[in-house]
Amino acid sequence: MQLIAKLIKMNLIAKLTFNQALTQMGYRRPGQPREDKPPWWRVKFDFSKGLKGMKRHFTLLKEEFFAQFVGPMGKPIIEHMLEQNQVLWEFRGPHSLQEWTISCDREIGGKSEVYLKVGRNNETCLLYGTLCSDPPKDGETRYSGYCTMRAKQPLASFDRKRYHDWSSFNTLHLRIRGDGRPWMINVIAETYYTHQKDDMYSYFLYTRGGPYWQDVKIPFSKFFLAHRGRVQDDQHELWLDKINAIGFTLGDKADGPFQLEIDFIGVCKDYAHTEDFAYEKYKRNPEV
Amino acid sequence: MAPFVYSTLIISLGLGTAMTFASTHWYLAWMGIEINTLAIIPLMTQNHNPRAIEATTKYFFAQATASATLLFAAVSNAFLTGGWDILQINHPLTSTLTTLALAMKIGLAPLHSWMPEVMQGLSLLTGLILSTWQKLAPFCLIYQIQPDNPNVFITLGLLSVIVGGWGGFNQVQLRKILAYSSIAHLGWMILILPFSPPLTLLTLFTYLMMTFSLFSSFMLVRTTHINSLSISWAKIPTLTASVPLILLSLGGLPPLTGFLPKWLILQELTKQDLAPIATLAALSSLFSLYFYLRLSYTMTLTMPPNNPAGTLPWRLNPQHNTLPLALTTTTTIFLLPATPTILALFTF
Repeated sequence: MQLIAKLIKMNLIAKLTFNQALTQMGYRRPGQPREDKPPWWRVKFDFSKGLKGMKRHFTLLKEEFFAQFVGPMGKPIIEHMLEQNQVLWEFRGPHSLQEWTISCDREIGGKSEVYLKVGRNNETCLLYGTLCSDPPKDGETRYSGYCTMRAKQPLASFDRKRYHDWSSFNTLHLRIRGDGRPWMINVIAETYYTHQKDDMYSYFLYTRGGPYWQDVKIPFSKFFLAHRGRVQDDQHELWLDKINAIGFTLGDKADGPFQLEIDFIGVCKDYAHTEDFAYEKYKRNPEV
Repeated sequence: MAPFVYSTLIISLGLGTAMTFASTHWYLAWMGIEINTLAIIPLMTQNHNPRAIEATTKYFFAQATASATLLFAAVSNAFLTGGWDILQINHPLTSTLTTLALAMKIGLAPLHSWMPEVMQGLSLLTGLILSTWQKLAPFCLIYQIQPDNPNVFITLGLLSVIVGGWGGFNQVQLRKILAYSSIAHLGWMILILPFSPPLTLLTLFTYLMMTFSLFSSFMLVRTTHINSLSISWAKIPTLTASVPLILLSLGGLPPLTGFLPKWLILQELTKQDLAPIATLAALSSLFSLYFYLRLSYTMTLTMPPNNPAGTLPWRLNPQHNTLPLALTTTTTIFLLPATPTILALFTF
């Protein structure tokens, strides 16, 4: 036992079990040495945390089981038939911010800042900060200056992935108030292969600025496929039956403060919009 | 897709099934099934979107596993009994292994998980081929296996009927509903196979007719979601009258054709002193009937004389040839009075 304790202290077991070449966890800032600790080193093991987790998961499982007696996905069938609008995220208090993650180039050594807070009267959320496009001086990164806000993946019981099903709708409806900057809206759909994990469907959001609110309606047929920010040649329409998350990105290379206030994000069905896909699908072998 | 490539793939599909039908050797039958699998893969990936590629990959994995198991069972049977004849699969181990491999091929529970996801990623036409044509070759082989112990078939059949009904409960995507419907119907076919193989054939052919007519109807109104059914009355009003009858026929209600196989299967099971199994199967099919009724309700019973659910879509002339739909719909709805003739045809 004393020998084992000594080995743990000397990190020998960690080095024996942790294969650096195989792990892909976490983000390594360019220029920084690779971390030599195993992934489980950062986990906090706590019995009461485990009990709370079990209670939460079993409660969710029970709700899921009884929800299917109400109707598909917990909604009565009449709602599935008749729904034309659905509000997905509305910011009505601090609890609504738990569903979102913010990020900026500070993670790679940049100088931007981003914050998310609840707006006035708990009626909106405000994404604000400062954009700085100076690249970090690490010898690797050439471009910088972005910040983003992304919804967290919804989870079912036992941390199983749950998806948004927007197949009854064809338009994204936002009520926002911006500062005149052009934003990018990203929709992340469920993928199968590992090489598709950075696939994103994007479209532009031009904000008007000023004190007036904007109602923005963007059909899903307008979203184009990009991978790691690069627009792909082989385009296809966004399949709405398994959506993981939605996000907003700012990277307009204009240094300075920014803010975006969001009232709600929803989806709607516009029967007048019959377009399947706005862009040409790239055919590599044209029909003879 | 280029017409030459398309016709090659369609002919390969026909060739594979025909090879399996015509073979008495396990190897040739396996080859026919493999040709079928490989021929449908490019048809599934015609649309370059991730969901179709995912569906194709899952389909390929499931079918390749089943094919490997099938070949292993055939080789084991040859090793144990010395023969490659399809009818001489007598050893219990190889018989069970073959049954399970073919069950995975056609999507019987508990080997059904690939089916709904694969169907969801395909177009309605490819889904139709998957649900109908791709079942023929494995069924030809299952039909020829003569099991000593019917328990495997009863278990597979009952599980499929229950899972097919329960799984479709929570669905709003039509292709997934049709996948679970397929699983349930396959369950009925497998359930009666050890006791009366002609009834399996009868159930298979009625299922093919009913599924073809339902898929064709959905292709005609171009709908893949339950809520778009509620405005389909404005596109083709005739279908609003016929599709509920097709759905109720799938559900097995008299006086429609779909009642015929269920009635005869329950009768045969009762004759074989398997009344509890018959009761369980009949009760489980109520789940399937529930979601068929839900589709009928959405499509027909909510057709409002005023206050439509949305702006009416344009009513265009149908591009497809509607003759096959008309024929199969007629047979799906009106064939029950011809029961004695049909029975004479199948009990050869």
